[in-house]
Amino acid sequence: MALRIDKFALRKPAAILGLSLVAIHLILALFSPWIAPYDPTALVGGRAEAPGAEFLLGTDVLGRDYLSRLLYGGRMALIVTFTGVVAAVTIGSLLGVAAAYFGGVLDDVLMRICDIKLALPGILFVSLFITGFGESLMVLITLIGMIYFPGVIRIVRAQAMTQVNLGYVKAAQLRGESAPSVIAREILPNTLDVVYVEFAIRMSHAVLLLSTMSYLGLGLSPPTPDWGLMVSEGVGQISFAPWLVLFPAVFISTLVIGLNFGAEALANALGMDAARGYVGGV
Amino acid sequence: MGKAILRRLALSLMVVWLVTVLVFISTEVLPGDALQVSLTADEAAQMSEADFTKRRAELGLDRPAPVRYFSWLANAARGDFGKTIIGREDVATVIGYPLRNSILLGLVTALVAIPIALAIGIAAAYWRGRWPDMMASSGAILGYSIPEFASGNFLVLCFAIWLPVFPAMITAFTRDAPSTLIAASFLPILTVVIGSIAHLVRLVRAGFIEALNSDYVERARLAGTSELQLVLRHALPASVIPALNSAALYVAGLLSGIIVVEKVFAYPGLGLVLIQAVEKREVAVVQAISLVAAVVVVSMNLLADAAVMALDPRARRR
Repeated sequence: MALRIDKFALRKPAAILGLSLVAIHLILALFSPWIAPYDPTALVGGRAEAPGAEFLLGTDVLGRDYLSRLLYGGRMALIVTFTGVVAAVTIGSLLGVAAAYFGGVLDDVLMRICDIKLALPGILFVSLFITGFGESLMVLITLIGMIYFPGVIRIVRAQAMTQVNLGYVKAAQLRGESAPSVIAREILPNTLDVVYVEFAIRMSHAVLLLSTMSYLGLGLSPPTPDWGLMVSEGVGQISFAPWLVLFPAVFISTLVIGLNFGAEALANALGMDAARGYVGGV
Repeated sequence: MGKAILRRLALSLMVVWLVTVLVFISTEVLPGDALQVSLTADEAAQMSEADFTKRRAELGLDRPAPVRYFSWLANAARGDFGKTIIGREDVATVIGYPLRNSILLGLVTALVAIPIALAIGIAAAYWRGRWPDMMASSGAILGYSIPEFASGNFLVLCFAIWLPVFPAMITAFTRDAPSTLIAASFLPILTVVIGSIAHLVRLVRAGFIEALNSDYVERARLAGTSELQLVLRHALPASVIPALNSAALYVAGLLSGIIVVEKVFAYPGLGLVLIQAVEKREVAVVQAISLVAAVVVVSMNLLADAAVMALDPRARRR
């Protein structure tokens, strides 16, 4: 189904700001191996050097180039969250449509999974599992997928509910289409606008969660460059080298602000009100 | 109304029970078992197979999983979450005072945040599309886009280092009186308030706009009710309903925020205990904290449901 995009909504200042922030971060992350002046884990300068000509954004407490670490940090954050969120949104929307289509026991089971997710904040969910599994990349990606798919189920199910009794679904059933085909080929395309907005919002939540976990020492571990980790490593030097905290904080914040403004712009462009039901924390 | 409440209560109990299953399974699917997790590599290397079997029997790990689950559940229901691996302390003792401190921080934050969020949300809705709305809506997006560890450390930089008016770290002790803790916690409270009002502002704004557009507010306006009366008496009660419906999300967000600021400011609460427990692989402590958090979220949500029913007669019949 072709999405009806209201191009006018994409020209609002907030939309332009959000989409450009996301675009800048995407470009920096994609091309970081070519843009970054140094190896992000190599000791190349003095300890905590101030930003200057040689090191544009200074060096960290071990003498690694801060700009390179920030660029690679964004790459890492986006790879982990993107993979996890794509998994969450794919599984969540298929299950959401299935819940609306079949109803009954499947619907009840899926709704209880959503309730569990609502009851247990993301940080605790991650803590619970990494206590046993350790903080490997695969575990973090899987956990991000597990944390966000129930929310996607809930939203997509609500949208699919408005579709299951419509004529085209009945027509497909009468043509003898199988249930998986009706779900994936008939109903799912008509929930896609919700799915896209959901993806953008979950991305912003996932970036926040991942950097928060790293900051707490429960996410990616050193020497991996990660914005949350860099803030926590920089806190000890905050009184004489505040940029060590400020730069990664600005990078995280601009990416999440971009994603949130972008998500809202997308929702407006698709004729939805993002203000209702979409908010939620890390 | 009583029946509806009972139904919610039953559902809440079921959710808590499901969470206990999840909490138990999360440690059950571990590579190895609780014994191996609890041993350091050196200890494990020194023990023979017979030692392992003996220790497993001592810890009750030789019993089938469902049996262990129910005995763990029965103990947890009595507040006995087992003992820590390092130090053999009761988990209940380890989390007791920090739990009180975190609840204290959460309550004070909510008491400060909710009136502010109501005021901003109502102002934004009342002057929607004009500058107060633009500022509130953009501010809300900024508020929940900037992670608490970033805004918290930024506040430290501004008000503890550049302009030294508040301490950067909480120096109070775990067992200090509540008043001492709160007096020392201006910056942590401010940080969580900033992070948590954003969600509320958006919900209140949406609910208030809906209420202002409703027929009964229009009727009251035509009857000559003053604008202040209109806002406070007619639109306000209906506008908090969407916010109350999202109470679980709000409380969960508040909990996350509290865990983070406890780390930023070294506030002696449950968040710090949690972080240390994960680092030391203290499974029992992490289980206990997750369970307590889930109970808090679920019961707050139940309270909010009751409040919605009190405010909205339609909700009583659902």
